[in-house]
Amino acid sequence: MKTVLISTTILILLSFATDRLTGRWETKPSVNGNITGVVFKPDSSFEGYVNKKPFVSGRYVFRDSIFTFTDNGCDGKQGVYKIVFFSNNDSLRFVPINDSCTERKEGMSRLIMGRIK
Amino acid sequence: MKKYVGYAIAGIATVVIALSFTNKEPENKAELGKLLFFDPILSKDKTISCASCHKPDFAFADTSAVSRGVGGKRGTRNSPTAMNVMLRRPFFWDGRARTLEEQALAPIENPVEMNLHLDSAIQRLRDSRIYNDYFRKLFDSEPTRENLAAAIAAFERTLETSNSPFDRWKFYEDSTVVSMGVKRGFEVFNGKGKCNKCHFGADFTQNDFRNIGLFNGRELNDSGRTLVSGKKEDIGKFKTPSLRNVSVTGPYMHNGMFTTLMQVIDFYSEPDKVISNSINRDSLLAKPLGLSQAEKSDLEAFLLSLTDEKFNNTVEVQMKYR
Repeated sequence: MKTVLISTTILILLSFATDRLTGRWETKPSVNGNITGVVFKPDSSFEGYVNKKPFVSGRYVFRDSIFTFTDNGCDGKQGVYKIVFFSNNDSLRFVPINDSCTERKEGMSRLIMGRIK
Repeated sequence: MKKYVGYAIAGIATVVIALSFTNKEPENKAELGKLLFFDPILSKDKTISCASCHKPDFAFADTSAVSRGVGGKRGTRNSPTAMNVMLRRPFFWDGRARTLEEQALAPIENPVEMNLHLDSAIQRLRDSRIYNDYFRKLFDSEPTRENLAAAIAAFERTLETSNSPFDRWKFYEDSTVVSMGVKRGFEVFNGKGKCNKCHFGADFTQNDFRNIGLFNGRELNDSGRTLVSGKKEDIGKFKTPSLRNVSVTGPYMHNGMFTTLMQVIDFYSEPDKVISNSINRDSLLAKPLGLSQAEKSDLEAFLLSLTDEKFNNTVEVQMKYR
């Protein structure tokens, strides 16, 4: 019974963690007016876009604030980032932990996104 | 026949758009740029406008392999789409213009395009009471090189498209708008086809320069990027073009040598079958991709899905006369 309770608690916590990320996030317009966004889907896939133009698709795992993913750029290299939520979980930024794709790392490190409701 | 239908559509569209500007005062720089884009005043004999080679119905690309300029002079390269340029630079097949503003002025002076010295073009605009008024109102200045470039570039930056079936699938999360063939084609694009190695990004280009094997120093003797960079390793390299609206922007490649998307796919699948003596071809294409007929069809379906809905009519006409 105890095991079941613990497992259930973990599952609830995990689903809460997933829900924290699932959904649509976007940056504010840049100096040039560009808006970058990403949709994290419940099936562990995501779609990134700029100005409503999709440019990257991938799959991810999000656990204990650690976002691990691969996408259709960067020769299939895996990226590992910590996601820092702030402003009552309505905003996030990515802190690189391990990503050998330099261009992606530079891009993602600059991103600050807000949840789109 | 197909060619003449294309010309007819482009001609009608140009006239309709040009007429719609009559007596309509531009309210911003982009609208002024639009007016200039369609006005042959910027060519030597006032017969050619930007829109003569960047045809609106064909995603602002040309339907000819290479365009004809003033006096019927043939250019040497295909006129690429002028759409979806906001996120891109540099410009031209060889990347010789660093900014859109720089790009906007170059065809005016090019002897095989509009063939008008920029000083003369500016003088014409200053001599025009209407244009003088427009420039003074919007730039607080008479026409100059700088504000002419700024106006045309501002218009070009409005030519963004993001409403294709692919966009609706990926951005709006509606997977019902694309077929299974499109979805499989996207897999081929990112996998066996290696297309995404160069065509990656919001406009399906990384804006870099590649030699895909269309230079052999003989009948294919446009050395491309090396003319600008001066670097030997850049010989035969050209800028990777956007794939947005690619179904209506043919003919394809810097010299317009392929008329259909399937010809392009066949070439990439087995380049040596088309050009066996290419020089300095990119290592990504060192070995044949070996795509099956089914994979080629899926890839074509995916490419067609990149067509914005505003070009549905053009596609319909093309299909009718195919």
